[in-house]
Amino acid sequence: MQIDVLAPGWDDPANPSPNRIDTLWMAEAGVVDAFFFVGPETKDVVRQYLSLTGTPAMPQHFAVGYHQCRWNYRDEEDVDTVDAGFDTHDIPYDVLWLDIEHTDGKRYFTWDKTLFPDPVGMQKRLAAKGRHMVTIVDPHMKRDDYWLHKEATEKGYYVKDSSGRDFDGWCWPGSSSYPDMLNPEIREWWSEKFSFENYKGSTPSLYTWNDMNEPSVFNGPEVTMPRDAVHYGDVEHRELHNAYGYYFHMASSEGLVKRGERKDRPFVLSRAFFAGTQRYGPIWTGDNSADWDHLKVSVPMILTLGLTGMTFSGADVGGFFGNPEPELLVRWYQLGAFYPFFRGHAHLDTKRREPWLFGERNTALIREAVHVRYSLLPYFYTLFREASTSGLPIMRPLWLEFPQDKETFNNGEAFMVGPALLAQGVYQAGEKSVSVYLPGTESWYYLRNGAAYKGGVSHKMEVFEDSIPSFQKAGTIIPRKDRFRRSSTQMVNDPYTLVIALNSSNSAEGELYLDDGKSFEYEEGAFMHRHFVFSDNKLVSTNKARINAGKKKFSSECVIERVIFLGLSANAKKAVIEPGNIEVDIELGPLSLRPGSSPVALTIRKPNVHVADDWTIRIL
Amino acid sequence: METNLRFSLLISLLCLIAIPSLASIPSRDSLGISPQDVSYYKAGVIKCKDGSKKFNRDQLNDEFCDCPDGTDEPGTSACPEGKFYCQNLGHTPLVIFSSRVNDGICDCCDGSDEYDGKVNCSNTCWEAGKAARDKLNKKIATYQEGVVIRNKEIEKAKLAIAKDEEELSKLKNEEISLRDLVSKLKEQKERIEKAEKEEKLKKELEEKRLKEEAEKQAAKEKESIEASLQVEPKDAKEKAPEDSTEGGENGKKAELEDEGTSHEVLSRESSAEKLAKMTGNQNEEINSEHAEEEIDNDDSGHAEEEIDNHKSAQKPEQVSDHSSASDAADVNSEEQQHESASTAGLSKEELGRLVASRWTGEKSAEKDKNPKDESLKESADDVAEPAGEEENYESYISDMDDDRYKYKEEESENEYNGDSDEEYADDHADTAESYKSDEEYKNDHSEEISTTGGLSWIDKIQQTVQRVFQSFNFFKTPVDLSESSRVKKEYDDLSSKLSKIQSRIHHLKEKLKRDFGKDKEFYSFHDQCFENKQNKYVYKVCPFKKATQNEGHSSTQLGQWDKFEESYRIMAFSNGDRCWNGPDRSMKVRLRCGLKNDLTDVDEPSRCEYVAILSTPAMCVEEKLKELKQKLADMSSSQPASHDEL
Repeated sequence: MQIDVLAPGWDDPANPSPNRIDTLWMAEAGVVDAFFFVGPETKDVVRQYLSLTGTPAMPQHFAVGYHQCRWNYRDEEDVDTVDAGFDTHDIPYDVLWLDIEHTDGKRYFTWDKTLFPDPVGMQKRLAAKGRHMVTIVDPHMKRDDYWLHKEATEKGYYVKDSSGRDFDGWCWPGSSSYPDMLNPEIREWWSEKFSFENYKGSTPSLYTWNDMNEPSVFNGPEVTMPRDAVHYGDVEHRELHNAYGYYFHMASSEGLVKRGERKDRPFVLSRAFFAGTQRYGPIWTGDNSADWDHLKVSVPMILTLGLTGMTFSGADVGGFFGNPEPELLVRWYQLGAFYPFFRGHAHLDTKRREPWLFGERNTALIREAVHVRYSLLPYFYTLFREASTSGLPIMRPLWLEFPQDKETFNNGEAFMVGPALLAQGVYQAGEKSVSVYLPGTESWYYLRNGAAYKGGVSHKMEVFEDSIPSFQKAGTIIPRKDRFRRSSTQMVNDPYTLVIALNSSNSAEGELYLDDGKSFEYEEGAFMHRHFVFSDNKLVSTNKARINAGKKKFSSECVIERVIFLGLSANAKKAVIEPGNIEVDIELGPLSLRPGSSPVALTIRKPNVHVADDWTIRIL
Repeated sequence: METNLRFSLLISLLCLIAIPSLASIPSRDSLGISPQDVSYYKAGVIKCKDGSKKFNRDQLNDEFCDCPDGTDEPGTSACPEGKFYCQNLGHTPLVIFSSRVNDGICDCCDGSDEYDGKVNCSNTCWEAGKAARDKLNKKIATYQEGVVIRNKEIEKAKLAIAKDEEELSKLKNEEISLRDLVSKLKEQKERIEKAEKEEKLKKELEEKRLKEEAEKQAAKEKESIEASLQVEPKDAKEKAPEDSTEGGENGKKAELEDEGTSHEVLSRESSAEKLAKMTGNQNEEINSEHAEEEIDNDDSGHAEEEIDNHKSAQKPEQVSDHSSASDAADVNSEEQQHESASTAGLSKEELGRLVASRWTGEKSAEKDKNPKDESLKESADDVAEPAGEEENYESYISDMDDDRYKYKEEESENEYNGDSDEEYADDHADTAESYKSDEEYKNDHSEEISTTGGLSWIDKIQQTVQRVFQSFNFFKTPVDLSESSRVKKEYDDLSSKLSKIQSRIHHLKEKLKRDFGKDKEFYSFHDQCFENKQNKYVYKVCPFKKATQNEGHSSTQLGQWDKFEESYRIMAFSNGDRCWNGPDRSMKVRLRCGLKNDLTDVDEPSRCEYVAILSTPAMCVEEKLKELKQKLADMSSSQPASHDEL
C-alpha cells in the first residue's frame, strides 16, 4: 500500500494483532490518494509502486563514482590542491563539490570573485582529468540587489505570505524569498537559469546540488515556511509542503537537461524529496554525524529509501558534523563504497579529512575502499540500468532477495548490492569479529579470499582492517574493471574481469549493461546489454537487449582480460574460445590484484574476447 | 662550451620532434623500466619482486597482470600496483603510477606514457627541463648565499649564548649578595616601623594618660601601671604563636618559594578573611581589590596578580622553576637563620625595654586595639610579600602573560569591546616588551653595571647600606625620621633592583633552556617576531612565544609556542584561543631556506588551523645545498642520448 500525502501528517500503528495490520493516518490538509499494490512478491510490490511514481533516472556514469565534498573548498587553489592530492595518492574520484561559500554572498549562480576568480579555468582543469564539478543551488533568494531576486520580484514569482506580500524568511544569505516552484511557468523560468549564458562561469562539466529545499527557513515555524504561506493557485503551504522540494528538484534537473540540449543527462542531488523524486536525481540522507551509530543507521535508511524508489541515495561518508576518528572514517569508506551514492562530505567547522590526512596506512585503506567501488563500477552501472527499468533498488534488504528466509526480515546491518553481492558493515571501533547471516540455500564466496561459506547460517567472521565482510552469492557473475585510473572517465576503454561464482549445480549467470554513460541515446537503443551464462563448463555471452530495440547503436572495443572462477574444480588447465577455436591458459590467480594477495581462484588468462560479441568459452 | 652543448641539445630536440613516431613506438622489453632495473629484467624467467611468483619473459608488459606487486607490467596499466618510468630526456626522469599509462592524459614530458595512439603527447621536456634547471639554479644560488648567512648566525648565536651564560652566573652571584642586603634592610625597616609604631602608640597613650590623669588620682594610676606590667608577659606569649602564622614570615617565605602559588592563594584568602573579620564586615564584597585599598601598603599590580594566581595554579611553568627557586630558598633560609637569631635577640631585648620602661595606659584599650593593628600588619605583610615575588614572575613569564591575555579575551570575545581589547592589548604589549628586549634590560642597568669604575656596583651598594646601618640608632627615641625614610627608600630601591635581577635571571634561564636547533641556528628567533599582512589581518609569529592574528586593536591568539616538528622543519604553536564551534586555534609555520626572515602564505586550510611559510637563512643547510647541486648535475647529465650520436 502506498499513501501519498502532500501535507505533513502523522501515522499511528493501532493495536497490533497477529492476523492483521492496522495503520492510522492523519493529515492536516491536502488530498489523500491511497493505492494498493498486490504483489504477490516483494519485488513485484516495488515494481508496481515504481510504475506509478516513475522509475529512477539513469545517471551519468561519472555519478556512480566517488564524490569529494566539503563545506567548503575555499578557493581555486584549494580545489587544485585537493584534486592533486587524489592524484598524488592514486585515489580515483570523479566529482569535486563546492558548497555555499563559493558564491558571492550566498547568491546562487554567482561566484565569489576573490576566491573563485576563474571558475571556468578551474572546471577545465578538472575536466582535463575527466573530472566533474558540482555547485550548490538553493531555493532561498537573497533579498538585495541580486539580479535573480530582482527578476523574481518583478515577475511576482515568489511564494506569498498570508497577507499577500512576498514571503520573507531567513536562510543562509539572511533575508530571503522563495520562488514558487508549484507554478509550471516559474519552474520553466527557473530551469532557464542553468543555461551557460545565465549561469556565468559554468561549463559543461558542472552539475548541481539542491539543498535546503524543504524549504528551510531558519526563522520559520518548524524551521520551514509558515503553513499559511500562499502558493500558485491560492494553495496554502500546509497543503503541499512535502512537494515543494520535489518541484524545486524537478525544475533544476530540467534546467540541466535544457542546458545540455537534451543530450546530457542531468545530475542534481537533492535533500528534500517526495514520491517521484527518483525521476530527477539522487538524494542523500541529510546532515549526519561522525559517530558509529550514524554509520550503522545509514544502512536501514538507504535500504528504506531504495524500496520507495529512491534507488540513488547515500549518506555522507565520514559524517557531516564532527570529526571522525580514522578508524570510523575508514569503516565508513568501506561501507560507503557500497552505497548507491558515494560521497564524502564534512561540515565547515570540522577538521580537514581528505583521504590522505590520516597517515599512510589509513590512506592505503581508504584507497582500497575506493578501489573496491571503482572495480565494481560495471556491476553498479548495470544495477542502475535495472533500477531505471524495473525500479528495483541497487542496495537491497536481504529479504528482498530472500523473501522466504525469515532470518533476513530484521537484518538491518547486512544488505545486498544487486542480486549477487552481500556486504556487512563494521559498526564498532576495534571490532574483532562480526556475525554475518548468509541467507538462502546456496553458498557464498568470501571476497577477501574466495573461500566458500554455507548459506542459511550465521558465520562468525574475523574482521580485518582492510575491508568489511563481503560475499558473492553462488550462481552469479559479476563484471568488474580492475584497472584504476584518476576517474571513471579514463576507464572507458579498460578491459573487464568476470568473476563467476558457481552454485551447487556448477552454473552461474550475470549481466553487463553499458552505454555512452552520458547522453540519452540509450533511450533510442544505443546501449549494450550482455547476458553471461555459465553451465556445463561453458561460459556463453549473448545479447540481452531485445533485437531492434532502437535505431541508434552503441559499440565498445572493450575486451575481457580475465575470467575468475569461484568453486570450479581445480583440474582445469585450458579453455577454448569459440568462434576461432583459440586455446587459452587457465591458471591459479588472485581474486583481486592487491599487494600480497595469494592465488586462490582458477583464472582464464587473457581470453581477450570482445565484450560486444557473442562468444563461448569452453573449459577443457 | 656551454653554447656548444646547448646547440647540440637543440639539434637533438629537433630530432626528437622530427621522428615522433619512432620515439613513441614502445619496446616491450624496456617499456617503463628504470635504468637500475634493466638488468633485473634480463633473465628468461623473472621473479616478481615480492617473491610471490615467477613469470616468463614473454609475460613482461603483455597487458596482463601476473605479479600482484606489478613487477611484470612496468610499462602497462595492467597492474594496479605498477610503476612506470619515463626517461624524460632533457628533464628529470619520473616514475608514475601505471594507472596513468594510456589513460589519455600526458603525464611524462616525453609523452612516453601515452603510446596507444589515442592521444598525441608532444615532447615538452626541453622547455620544462630548462625551466626546472633555471629554478634549481636559482635555488642553489639562494642556498649558497643562505649557507653563509646561516654560518654567521650560528657563530653569533654561540657568542651570544656564551655571553648569556656569563651574565647569568654573574647575576646569580649578585642576586645572592643583594638578597642578603635586602633582607637585612628589611629587617631594619621593620624594626624602624615597629619603633615608630611604638612611639606613636606611646604618644597616644601618653595623651590618653594625661587626660585620665586629670581625672584620676596618683595612687590609682600607679596600680594601673602595675596591672599592665603583669599583663604584659602574657601578651607577649599570646603574640608568639600568632607571630608564627604571620611571619614566622621567614619560614613562610621559604615555603612560598618552594611551593609556588597554591600556598599563596591560601594565604591571600586568609588575609582577606582576616580583613573581613577585622573590619567587622562579613560581606562578600570584600575582595582583594578592596583589601588593596584598605591596606595602605603600596602594592601595584595587585589585581593583575590575583588573576595570575588563578592561572598559575594551572601552570606547571612555575613549578618547573623549582631548582632556581629552591636554590634561592636555600640561600635565603641560611640567611634567615642567622638573621632571625639576631632579630629575635634584638627584638626581644628591644621589646622588653620598650614595654618595660614605657608601657602605660589601659589594658582594655590595648586589647581592643592591638589585635586589629596586628592583623592589619600581618595581612599587609602577607599580601605585600608574595606580591613582590609575583611581580617577578609576572614580568618574565611570557606564557603566563599570554594566559592572562587569553583569560580576558575569553571574557570579551563575544562582544567586540574595542576599549577593553585595546587596554589589555597595550598592556600586554608593555609586558611583552619588558621581557623581550635584552637591549632594554641593559639600558636599564647600564649605569649600575658600567659606571662602577674600580668598584663593582654591588660593592658600592653594600657600602651604602653599611653606612645606613651605621648611622641609624635604634635606641634613640624618638626615631630620626630622615634616617628612617632613608632606610625605607634604600630598601625599596634595592628590592626593586633585586626583583629586576631575579626577573632577568629567570629570563636567561628560560632562554638558555630553549631548543635553538642542532646548530643553535634559531637563537636569533628568540627575540624576534615575524609579520605578514593579509587583507585586514596582520599575522604575527613570535617563535618560542606565540602566534597571533591582529585586526586593528583586537588580537586573537593562534597558539602558544609548542615545539619544532619534523626535525626543525616546522614551528608548531598550539592551544590558542578557543574557536567558536571548532578546535582550539593552532598554527604550523613551515620553514624554508631564504635569504632573510620572511613570513608568507598564511592560510587557514581547516577551521582554526593556520599554516604559514617562513623563509629564513636558518634553513639553508649545507647538506641540502650539496643535494641540490647533485640534482642539478644529474639533470644536466641526463641530456638527450642522441647528443652522443651526433
